[in-house]
Amino acid sequence: MSKRWYIAIAVLAVIAGGLALAVWEPAIPAADEASRQDFSPGQVERGKVLAGIGNCGTCHTVSPDKPFAGGVEFPSPFGSLYSTNISPHPQDGIGRWPREAFVRAMREGVSREGSHLYPAFPFTHFKNITDEDLDALYAYFMTREPVAYTPPQNDLSFPFNLRFLQWGWKLLFFDPDPWQPDPERGEQWNRGAYLAKGLGHCSACHTPRNFMQAEKKDRAYAGALVDNWYATALDESQPVPVHWDRESLYEYLREGTSRFQGVAVGSMGEVVHRGLRLAPDSDIRALATYTESLSGGRNNGNSRQIAAETITAAQQRARSEYSPGEELYVAACAACHYNDPQDPLAVRAELSLNSAVTADDPTNLLRVVMEGVGTGAGTPTLVMPGFSTLSDENLVALADFLRERSNLPPWKNLRKRIGELRELHRQSQPSATGKAGEQP
Amino acid sequence: MTTEFKINARPVRVDVPEDTPLLWVIRDDLGYTGTKFGCGIGLCGACTVHVNGRATRSCITPVKDVANSVVTTIEGLAENGHPLLETWVEAQTPQCGYCQPGQIMQAAAMLRDFPNPTDEQINQVMSGNFCRCMAYVRIREAIRMAAQRMQAGSGRPQEADHA
Amino acid sequence: MLKYLTGKSSGGAHADELASPGRRGFIVGMAGAVLTLAFARSPLSLANPDKTVAEGAFDPTVWYWIEPDGRVVVNIAKAEMGQHIGTALARIVADELEADWEQVELRYVDSDPKWGYMVTGGSWSVWKSFDPLSRAGAAGRKVLIEEGAKKLGVKPEQCRARAGRIIAGNQSISYADLVRGGGISRSFTDEELKQMPIKPPAERRIIGGQTRALDIPGKVDGSTLYGLDAKVDGMVYGRPIIPPTRYGSSVSSIDDSAAREIPGYRQTVTLEDPSGTVPGWAMVIADSFHAANQAVKRITVNWSPGKTTGVDEQAVLDHGRKLIGTADQGVLALDAGEVDKAFNDAAEVLESEYVTHGVLHFQLEPVNAVALEKDGTWEIHTGNQWQSLIIPVLSRALQVPKEKIVMRTYLLGGGFGRRLNGDYSVPAALAAKAVGRPVKMVLTREDDALFDSIRSPSVQKIRMAFDGDGKITAMEHHATAGWPTQVMAPDFMADGINGKYDPFAIQGALHWYTMNGHRVRAISNDLANDTFRPGWLRSVGSGWVNWALESAIDEAAHKAGEDPIEFRLRRLKAIGRNAGSAPNAVGGAARQANVVRRVRELSGWGAELPADTALGVATSYGQERNMPTWTACVARVRVDRETGRATVEKLSLVTDAGTIVHPDGARAQVEGAALWGMSMALHEGTVLHNGNVADTNLNTYTPLRMRDVPEIEMEFVDSTETAVGLGEPATTVVGPAIGNAIFAAVGVRMRELPIRPHALLAELQRDSKANREA
Repeated sequence: MSKRWYIAIAVLAVIAGGLALAVWEPAIPAADEASRQDFSPGQVERGKVLAGIGNCGTCHTVSPDKPFAGGVEFPSPFGSLYSTNISPHPQDGIGRWPREAFVRAMREGVSREGSHLYPAFPFTHFKNITDEDLDALYAYFMTREPVAYTPPQNDLSFPFNLRFLQWGWKLLFFDPDPWQPDPERGEQWNRGAYLAKGLGHCSACHTPRNFMQAEKKDRAYAGALVDNWYATALDESQPVPVHWDRESLYEYLREGTSRFQGVAVGSMGEVVHRGLRLAPDSDIRALATYTESLSGGRNNGNSRQIAAETITAAQQRARSEYSPGEELYVAACAACHYNDPQDPLAVRAELSLNSAVTADDPTNLLRVVMEGVGTGAGTPTLVMPGFSTLSDENLVALADFLRERSNLPPWKNLRKRIGELRELHRQSQPSATGKAGEQP
Repeated sequence: MTTEFKINARPVRVDVPEDTPLLWVIRDDLGYTGTKFGCGIGLCGACTVHVNGRATRSCITPVKDVANSVVTTIEGLAENGHPLLETWVEAQTPQCGYCQPGQIMQAAAMLRDFPNPTDEQINQVMSGNFCRCMAYVRIREAIRMAAQRMQAGSGRPQEADHA
Repeated sequence: MLKYLTGKSSGGAHADELASPGRRGFIVGMAGAVLTLAFARSPLSLANPDKTVAEGAFDPTVWYWIEPDGRVVVNIAKAEMGQHIGTALARIVADELEADWEQVELRYVDSDPKWGYMVTGGSWSVWKSFDPLSRAGAAGRKVLIEEGAKKLGVKPEQCRARAGRIIAGNQSISYADLVRGGGISRSFTDEELKQMPIKPPAERRIIGGQTRALDIPGKVDGSTLYGLDAKVDGMVYGRPIIPPTRYGSSVSSIDDSAAREIPGYRQTVTLEDPSGTVPGWAMVIADSFHAANQAVKRITVNWSPGKTTGVDEQAVLDHGRKLIGTADQGVLALDAGEVDKAFNDAAEVLESEYVTHGVLHFQLEPVNAVALEKDGTWEIHTGNQWQSLIIPVLSRALQVPKEKIVMRTYLLGGGFGRRLNGDYSVPAALAAKAVGRPVKMVLTREDDALFDSIRSPSVQKIRMAFDGDGKITAMEHHATAGWPTQVMAPDFMADGINGKYDPFAIQGALHWYTMNGHRVRAISNDLANDTFRPGWLRSVGSGWVNWALESAIDEAAHKAGEDPIEFRLRRLKAIGRNAGSAPNAVGGAARQANVVRRVRELSGWGAELPADTALGVATSYGQERNMPTWTACVARVRVDRETGRATVEKLSLVTDAGTIVHPDGARAQVEGAALWGMSMALHEGTVLHNGNVADTNLNTYTPLRMRDVPEIEMEFVDSTETAVGLGEPATTVVGPAIGNAIFAAVGVRMRELPIRPHALLAELQRDSKANREA
């Protein structure tokens, strides 16, 4: 290596160092451990509901015995991030964070020590949370059980491991001004928008991201693959034959099931059954009202009729076709999924209407078919067996058939995706070599 | 790994690897042998039980997935009585009988969703349950008879759905 | 392992409870031990059921007893696999005994030499048992009448027996009271029993009536125990790892290092099998079936494989064609009339080849067995159809005397002939011997398919000679397939003209059509026999033989320009060798003609039908000329010219099986058999690939399901002739009826089973191309 290289590297290092200093936010001094009596029980209780709406627990809890202690892995093309411990543990968690530090982190994405947080933490949405709600959240977290646990170190490749570069990312993609209510819209819509755009951070999953992992503003709610679940499109491009309206959205967000669009499982199952469980009906209705508006009112109030026509057409399209996929459907699926066109039932998820079948991405359908749905993963009373014993060829045939039955083109690259998801499923299985569990 | 659920109205806790198919827990650990093993890949229906009142193929359902659920097997259905059990005898439906508990459990679940099923509906729902003796004509007949009896007002049978 | 919070399971009764005998109150002929029943002394000859085989000394035994509370318990030494055989046999006893049907119970017995030769198959059970059980029942009635007369103070002539009571005028006494009174002891010699008068058919009260099957309630509420439900103390689970070839493989190494950490995994043993039944098998032993399954995924077995690893379907079929083409191969089962002369003089000869592919039994309960040794005796707990065939094999495998082996009886989750071959009991026994404790071996569905003794693929060539008037003068029928009887029960081979042959692999060919000449040649396909173990599958040879025969007859009818039913009727004449004979085949071909005429009426033959829809007919005598079940079927089939799919809209069936003992059960058997025939014609079939069947589960093997069931209309000929078998004949007529209907509908002749849509489509396209060119 020539000497000139050393010089170039040294110069770059100086520039980078200067930049780092320039963009480094000041640390906020650690406070004494916040004491519980500072918070009113009502505030803590409201914080609990809000933490649910924000679905904080899902990302910040790696196992049930370590609530809010972080450690959940977020794989990305650049390596893995791990969520932080947000329990009030003084060393491992945020126990010594004063309110000011908490608010700065939520609204600006900066840690108490002054380093920039990665946008996997949705401060881009949390900036919209009101002072009052932030106070309640702060009260809630500060009164949790402190958990002594240090999550794994982030494992990002260079240069993404340089936190100060997030400053540049914010410069490009972060507008720090909070969202303002739309006076043209009603109170319910505004409440829904506030929850969805703020704490609920719905578009964090439902909006595709650019190569720098920022949400594509022009494709808001167009659907995206996140954490190996496909967050379906909610905008006017939504491919479900019966478009979401506020009734179906309410039913779905409240119960986890919608007779025309499907059942919440995977990440959305957690949102509904863990996150929104404590949210008041008024908030669920507000979210439904706002979400309905995302599609520009594509539902004309004729859901039943569209459903009946769609189901009838699907049944006729597939009648006694006797293709390999159809025979598998008859043997494996129809017993539970067959519906009367006039009266499809939510618990018999109608596959010609279902968002997993009609989505542009096969992930949800393949995962549900292969992994099944347990009481822990979706609606607590709903169990579906997993068909991972079917061969790749069988699964392709079945998926092709279900698409054909819904009058949709086949998904591409199914085999590859099945292989990836099989591997994912295999890794998620408890190690066969593990112990059989404790004796009662 | 310990999993708790109710089976035939009795709470149980089983300590088996959590990926153990529910079928083998029911048969070998809990001793309810009326539920049968046919294909092992969820395509014959011989292993059908109710989980929270819905027909479920137990051979491909890991026991962890029914945690805190209510599981009902043919023995549980028989304990509580069900019109299908009567009509199944009246129509002299079973031949070898091996698939019949699964057929009956599937039919019982179907009659909740379709209390007065058409032949088309019976065919659509019940074709997932394979009968090697091909006793299909009588399976259909027994379902029709039970539906009529239930419609006639002897009341729909009760089964605890939820934990 | 498991803890109940409350309650106790209701299932899982210990297997011994099933077999525990009740307290015996009254046993006909116990004293003196000379109640002789024909089939206790005369073991069935499979090849020739009329012939008795001197095997097994007579052990005085009983077929029923009466409890002090009046219950009549009938011992059933037949396998219950859906045919309600116990009910049928008990009805025969109960009718002559004049028992109260409400008080009749069944007891399925374990293997014991006292039951004589134990086999359930060939649709023989009712046929073989009818007479001896009737006479045993009549003997009981005679004793009870004599005893009742004493108690009532009248003469026996003044008494009659009805519904479990002896009645004289106004007074009566129940069987229960008579038994409780004690002291009844009577014996009958063999001769006395043979002379025992039985009632005239008009006096029958239980046979032929509408009575529910006794085995059904337990099958509905889940309490019936099948082999898979067997449970014994201290047992471990076994799951086999099946070698790459049926024969000739040997284990060279086993690496289970990756499995050792699986909780509950114990060991993997290589089975040493002196009987040669399961060469190259390894058995994974674990505390649960799940653990065994998990272990199997992590165990690597290396074999030195047998020589059939590369054999595929085409090779077996081509080998069959070669055998047919070689004149000195095979055995002539029949050479009647002037065949050569007819062909020499023929104005025209029609020659067709028919092919059928492999069929899995797919009995829904995968084969399984529990084996254990207790006090020097080996117990095998499993459902089985032919105990007397497998016990000697087990004896060789375990190297213990036959007397030290007991087959504990369970109901069968489907038989269809699979469990005539009890080979699955051998690996369970060997594993139990190897590990020194009870082993419950369970095969997965895929294992079961790989280990199945499938219905062999077959090739047949039929040649027919026609005279100048277009009349058929002679037929040559050459059929080759794997021969199950040759492989598994060579003692039961039949004598042909120039050697021994497997009667089951050619049955159905010895038809009752009158022709000047008729020659039947049966050829064993040795490549099939080497590659897999050919099995007896519902109706066995008739299942493929009648496909060829009745398709060919149809071709001949069309060639002659005659109506297919008229064509058949003209040749079904009760003359010469087709005149029939007492007691089993009274009426001969006239009875077959009768069912054909009946089905013509039933099906509305000749009516106008929509385009591409037509009726096809086929008929059969079932399996054996000396036990004919006369059967005829008309299928209404619609062909979709775009997809090539044939849809069966309706099946009409007429059966003459002589006396119908259990009419509702008979209907059920014919329904099931007919749908089996349809399934094998249109829905299911597999091929050999690399020495094994290509399809091992329902994801690719697709038998008929409920949605495919057509309208079925059936009729039984009202008859008091000898009761013959019912479980199989309908299987044989549906396939050719469908093929013949397809020809009638769209004019193409399908000669291969199953009829796949793509094949039918190809024929349609070829046909339309030929028409365009013509």
